[in-house]
Amino acid sequence: MNRRRRTKILIDGDWCLAKGMADEVTQRYNCQNIIAPRQGLTMVRMRESAKKSLFYIGEVLVTEAKVELNQCIGIGIVVGIHEEMARQLAVIDAAYKAELPETKKWEDRLLKAEQLIKKEKSKQQTELFETTVNFETMDV
Amino acid sequence: MGYVAVKGGTKAIEASKKRLKYERLKDGEIIEIKTILSSMKALVDQVMSEASFYSPFLAALAIKQAEGSMEEAVFLMRAHRSTLPRLYYSQTVETESMFVKRRISASFKDIPGGQMLGATYDYTHRLLDFELAKENTVDNHQWLQAYKQELQDVSREDDIQYFPKVVDYLREEGLFEEYEDDNTSPMDITKESIQFPTPRSARLQTLTRGQTGAVTSLGYASLRGYGQVHPTVGEVRVGDLPIYVDHPTENNENAEDNDFYIGEITVSEVESFVPVSIKNDRHDEELEFEIGYGVCYGQNETKAIAMSILDQCLEHPEFDFPTHSEEFVLLHIDSVESTGFISHLKLPHYVTFQSKLDSIRQVKKGATSNES
Repeated sequence: MNRRRRTKILIDGDWCLAKGMADEVTQRYNCQNIIAPRQGLTMVRMRESAKKSLFYIGEVLVTEAKVELNQCIGIGIVVGIHEEMARQLAVIDAAYKAELPETKKWEDRLLKAEQLIKKEKSKQQTELFETTVNFETMDV
Repeated sequence: MGYVAVKGGTKAIEASKKRLKYERLKDGEIIEIKTILSSMKALVDQVMSEASFYSPFLAALAIKQAEGSMEEAVFLMRAHRSTLPRLYYSQTVETESMFVKRRISASFKDIPGGQMLGATYDYTHRLLDFELAKENTVDNHQWLQAYKQELQDVSREDDIQYFPKVVDYLREEGLFEEYEDDNTSPMDITKESIQFPTPRSARLQTLTRGQTGAVTSLGYASLRGYGQVHPTVGEVRVGDLPIYVDHPTENNENAEDNDFYIGEITVSEVESFVPVSIKNDRHDEELEFEIGYGVCYGQNETKAIAMSILDQCLEHPEFDFPTHSEEFVLLHIDSVESTGFISHLKLPHYVTFQSKLDSIRQVKKGATSNES
């Protein structure tokens, strides 16, 4: 599973999953902090739809952490102030880079979590569809 | 009388700060950050937008610290933002990827995907609800349970829908000009001072972080005749946008495989359709539509619509109208700059004022001696 998909599942889903996976790694391997969780900014670049040019809408507060595991560096970044989550994401990222055997076993858990996220999102959307207008044309 | 340069006041300032804290605490009530976050979303959104700094938690903290003063809260957020390192730039965010929570059009009744009202005050009676004065958590819980029960019966869709833009259909019909993606690096007004004429990226960045009231007032002024733009809103959408950043060191040839998803932000986006007269090849006047663009953090549709008007105004400079002057608009809509400059007037100006008084006294004295 690529990093984009993995980080989306871990951040949008139940954060217990990231905690569980990171705990598995830290209990068995030596994980060193390179950058302890810290707050910083990400500048958001957008494309406007009038002339399709680029501009900056503003900055977003993020928490970032970096760890080293088996000479591989893992990075965790998450919107908001979430120090534990940032470190857990960094540990998981390092585990994938180091190709730890544990990562093979995570695939199923991640896929199940992805299904749950999709189900929850589609439920949320269906509920929002209740506010969709059903126009009736009047005879004048 | 000579100049009256003074120093001192340290004790009074300390006492004033204590008084400020006393005024905030004296009634013995504490408002929790979580209460602000869940019950004052519009205020939180406005602070984030004007601060150009997305963090609901910090915005709520700023509102608490500023006791609800918008200008103070925005100032606090801007000041805090300046203490943080900029770690990343996001990949380009395209609003087609928005998880839409509200989407309407004033131009077309039938838009693909339908008009979804979402949560809005637009159709509420503007009458004070005195029931809220005696609201309690038990009743609220019961209401929530009943509402969730009602939604249980709603038939479920399996796939999540992402909505195309209304304007894309009109472009397909050839009614609006098509543009290729313009990937010119945007200017960042937090790194470079704006110079006139400004690039479009600087205008949009300045407008999106403008003070809501100022942006709205100038947009309104344009509608009332102090400008030449009166649009029809093509689409308003509010929803969540996913943010991705590239890996800082890895080869990003397969960016989509290697990038990081870091979370979502909520934005309001508006495309306004503005009729303009152009001359065709035969030099006849012809009507065409252009698009004014507005977007801002959080749900703040009025600001986004006003921004779309001003965007279009500034695309067409007109000497006769202040709302079409980028210098007039862009240099006066920033919350920290305008409130800061106005409020500095109350700070000591003893030396400069005494100097002016001296000048007037000299003039008066001169006039009197001339008369005699």
